[in-house]
Amino acid sequence: MRFIATDRIPGLLGRLVESGMSVWAPQVVKDTVNTVLFAPWTGLEEISLDAYTMLSAKQLVLPATERLFSYRYTLEGGRERIGIEPSPPADKETAVFGARACDARALAALDALFLPEEGSGYRDPGYAAHRAGLTVITLACTTCDSACFCSSFGKGPAETAGSDLILYPVEGGLLAEPVTEKGSQIAAFDIFEDSEQSKPELATTACIDLEGIGDKFLGAFNDLDFWQRATENCLSCGYCTYACPACHCFNIFDEMSSDREGERCRSWDACMFYVYTLETSGHNPRPSIAHRYRNRVGHKFSYYPANQGELLCTGCGRCIRNCPGGLDVRNVLKGLAAVEAATEPGTRKPGPSGPEAGKPGTEGPSANGPEAAR
Amino acid sequence: MTELVTKIQEVLNEADVVLGWVHSAAAGAAVPAWFHNAVEAEAAVFDSTCVHNLAVHLPRLQDRTAGIVAKGCDIRSVVQLISEGQVRRDRVRIISVPCPGVVDVKKVWRCFGYGKKLIDAGGQVEMEGKTAPREEILLWKCRGCRDTAPLISDVVVGDPAGVAPPSPAERTGLRERFDAMTPAERRRFWQEQFSRCIRCNACREACPLCFCRDVCTMQTREPHWTGGQINAREAEMAQHIRINHLAGRCTGCEECERACPVGIPLMLLLEEQNRAVEKLFGYRAGTDPEAKPPLLVFDIDNDTWDSER
Repeated sequence: MRFIATDRIPGLLGRLVESGMSVWAPQVVKDTVNTVLFAPWTGLEEISLDAYTMLSAKQLVLPATERLFSYRYTLEGGRERIGIEPSPPADKETAVFGARACDARALAALDALFLPEEGSGYRDPGYAAHRAGLTVITLACTTCDSACFCSSFGKGPAETAGSDLILYPVEGGLLAEPVTEKGSQIAAFDIFEDSEQSKPELATTACIDLEGIGDKFLGAFNDLDFWQRATENCLSCGYCTYACPACHCFNIFDEMSSDREGERCRSWDACMFYVYTLETSGHNPRPSIAHRYRNRVGHKFSYYPANQGELLCTGCGRCIRNCPGGLDVRNVLKGLAAVEAATEPGTRKPGPSGPEAGKPGTEGPSANGPEAAR
Repeated sequence: MTELVTKIQEVLNEADVVLGWVHSAAAGAAVPAWFHNAVEAEAAVFDSTCVHNLAVHLPRLQDRTAGIVAKGCDIRSVVQLISEGQVRRDRVRIISVPCPGVVDVKKVWRCFGYGKKLIDAGGQVEMEGKTAPREEILLWKCRGCRDTAPLISDVVVGDPAGVAPPSPAERTGLRERFDAMTPAERRRFWQEQFSRCIRCNACREACPLCFCRDVCTMQTREPHWTGGQINAREAEMAQHIRINHLAGRCTGCEECERACPVGIPLMLLLEEQNRAVEKLFGYRAGTDPEAKPPLLVFDIDNDTWDSER
């Protein structure tokens, strides 16, 4: 295997920068207490590999905001015409250094949707361009904390999907194991040396039972009491979705810079926002936090696996560690099984009574109880 | 059975739900919990990791009688919500707990790592054999706290006079540096800070006084005061709308800053504004349920605000 000494890591990043790549690595944000984010590395910044980043690396394939095209109205011979200038696809080579297996695996899960096999679905050109230019250098985890649960998803910290090169922490530095051709090219740099050291033992995180989780979710779908109790602490902010390496919903909208010109953009959007499903009529099929959180869990553990063959959660634990309200999605997942056991067909609680009860077009059987308007 | 548990159980005789905390083994800290019955309430705790301001949930519980376990600062939020008609005094049962200050979880992680149980005794906190002086890991708002005595309460747990507020301290370095900046430097400072904002709206959702929530101008296109782009310009505009809307309403609970995942020091702005409101109007939000917030009643053509009232 190839080995790089710890003090030569900046040299490696420098080599990547010299090769024309923009390099992103975890760094503590200035003036904050241990807020670690992926940020561009230009040569001087200190990188921070021992803490978990508050946000994932998904912004490198799905930027928070991306312009799709700009447009301009002109008058030609008394007739109004629209000129459209498409934004060129990204052609920048980017490397992310110090992603974790959970971050990388999420990219593989996203590929299933955004980059299906030729001819089997829509290939998103924006995502495709960013993804093609991205090199993922993953740091394998030899430790974990109590929010981590990636071992629930098969290989856990030993997962290689989505990574190009995996670095294993060992005495004095990092062992490098390529996964792809891109990774092999980097491991061949002479800043690495050959080593006889063997790979370290990787962490094993806490596990939750995901057996049949999609069906368990569907079994609990109609039990709005369950969802209301499960989401009592939820504040309905977008942190969990924006921090999640696999959440990928976006909104497309126009912003005009004058009355003649503007741009069409797509930005991250979060299903935890009330406005996410708010319809022009004023009707909202997901009026309560319970409705919205249920959708989030369903998308990750039921709908997406059914449609794309991949779970949309990799157990990174960000939504648990940093939830301002103190929610732990693992408790919700554990609770699903109990609901299914308790609600055999035909034994579900009768009659909703809350303010959303019986409203047409509300997802599910409609809300129970006074919290429905939460 | 602790006094806290017993008192929550008593309140549950007349309330539909009591908002409090339980210890989470995974978090190594307290997490909020809603107690619906006496059995659930048996798990109630109060310790220095009970950071959350549970008053944030009250405006959504208007049609129920809700109890709330509240620190002195949380009670100020309840008071402010009452004065703004968002919470009915007769529908809330305030269980006041004596609070010697709560920890900044980010500082705890830096010192100890996530998920380890914190032991808080004798001016020191200890986790996995490592210790730190207690005051050093408290939230800034707790330093020199003026609200250890409950302003209003229905049930008192422990002896509020028995806790000494932590010694005052300004946020290390940052406040001093910020105050010394020229307007142009401040401009650059905030542009840099808001360049990290992802517009997750955690600041808004964690704020007990941001009760507009679902119809907030930070997110709507009607009015279209901010664009939908996630960038420094739009994020800063959205935040300034939020902050201005909190003039004379912010109680300084610091929840927005605690919730911010990218570490934007929002309290620098809010503290500044709160000081200005206190100086101009002699008004400190959340201290009098009968008072009307100055900017709710301020009339520019008839400026007769009486700072003594």
